[in-house]
Amino acid sequence: MKLSEIIGILQAEVLYGEDLDRIEIKQACGSDLMSDVLCYSMQGSLLLTGLTNPQAVRTAEISEISAVCFVRGKKPPAETVDLARKNDIPLLLSKYSMYIACGKLYSAGVLGCDDRCE
Amino acid sequence: MRLSEAAQTLGLEVRSAAKQLDTEIRGGYASDLMSDVMANAEEGYLWVTLQTHMNIVAVAVMKELAGIVLINGREPEQETAEKAEEKRMPILVSPLPAFELIGRLYDLGIPGLRADDEES
Amino acid sequence: MIAANKNSQFTKIQELVYELKVAEVMTTNLITVSSDTMMSKLRSILRDNRISGTPVVKGGQMVGLISVEDFINWLSRGGVDCPVEEVMSIEGLLQELQIDYHEEEIHRYRASHFFEDMIADKVTINFHYHIRGKKIEQGGEVASDLKRSLKRLGIHPAIVRRAAIATYEAEINVIIYAEEGRVDVNVEPDVIRIEVRDRGQGIADVACAVEPGYSTAPDWVRELGFGAGMGLPNIKNCARDFDIASTVGQGTTLKISIPTGGEEKRCA
Repeated sequence: MKLSEIIGILQAEVLYGEDLDRIEIKQACGSDLMSDVLCYSMQGSLLLTGLTNPQAVRTAEISEISAVCFVRGKKPPAETVDLARKNDIPLLLSKYSMYIACGKLYSAGVLGCDDRCE
Repeated sequence: MRLSEAAQTLGLEVRSAAKQLDTEIRGGYASDLMSDVMANAEEGYLWVTLQTHMNIVAVAVMKELAGIVLINGREPEQETAEKAEEKRMPILVSPLPAFELIGRLYDLGIPGLRADDEES
Repeated sequence: MIAANKNSQFTKIQELVYELKVAEVMTTNLITVSSDTMMSKLRSILRDNRISGTPVVKGGQMVGLISVEDFINWLSRGGVDCPVEEVMSIEGLLQELQIDYHEEEIHRYRASHFFEDMIADKVTINFHYHIRGKKIEQGGEVASDLKRSLKRLGIHPAIVRRAAIATYEAEINVIIYAEEGRVDVNVEPDVIRIEVRDRGQGIADVACAVEPGYSTAPDWVRELGFGAGMGLPNIKNCARDFDIASTVGQGTTLKISIPTGGEEKRCA
């Protein structure tokens, strides 16, 4: 589904990003720990995370994740948004908890990323 | 829903406190950050995480959670499993990634934090 | 719509296309009209900009060409106002243009493309980076810079991703555990070799450290999103050769190699 739809489901605020209905999201991953995210095949997916430091954006950039959504209503610091802008990675903020955000997206048909690398 | 029921429906394997699965699950909480769980998780909630070190038992016991589910096929460290057994804190494991496991729990009707989810 | 089927008209349009291609390369102020611009407006656009024609765009894509000749022909047929897309020329030449760009895209991803242009008995490109320990805010900068550089060399994106992930994990390890470190990357036509050397506390038990889930990370690291014990296993999965040597109290040296073509082990 389009990222713009996901924004609706998660009642998310857009911290950075333009033309969000051109981005198609099929899979999502929820994690607060970045090493785990790096292990999976994440290109083109949505990362849900409570980790608001710039590493979340860095991980997204290196894994070619399409967009990052912060959960638990935690607003990221300026450095994080700046890095996202620099790398053109859309950033969203949802007040929902990780559990609810994942639950709602799963119910709406978004798939999980399941390419294990071990 | 009881923890034993959820475990059975979702194919979760038990790694500690197998006798404590009768607890009623009040809700689900997913987080890998200890400070966040300490601040926000609620009593009787089932905690979904990939952290396997001993601290998770201390946190779960302190918050009186219903149990801990480790995802991505993670196994608790030996010390963790022993501590959990001692403190009677159930630890279960699932091969699924967090997103999917949460999705299935949610589909089973296990809600998230009440304050967050107005429409649910 | 007028198809370019007359010889002389064809040549004029060819010329126009060539002009436009050059124009695109030379300036960024390429004049275009949208497909729903009315013909009546076209005259002043062509005249004011002193051009003999312009691409017609729709939804960000070029869908045709409209020239002064088209305009004159339209006038001679009565000049009933209508959108440009009903008069413009399409087909043939545009397809050729598209094919050109497509081929360029394919060429860009050939792993040894860059090296083919170099003439020498052996070519190695070396990247060197310095990592400052404990500066977690800068974590990933080296990996990111390397990624950009490798992409620029035309190396296949999946290979670039592996190199970037491996370097990122190694970089984070250096930041967490060491005072400082360095990354040396050697790129040859068939293989990328990455060496990460640090000056720091070293690894007491290397065999354990490479096991997934094993971590000696302090709590502050976990709070920052790392320390799940996946760093070294992730690196190992990205590489063909993996070698790690460490002396407690001195430091660690990690060496990996990533082939740039052929069969790929599933990593990320």
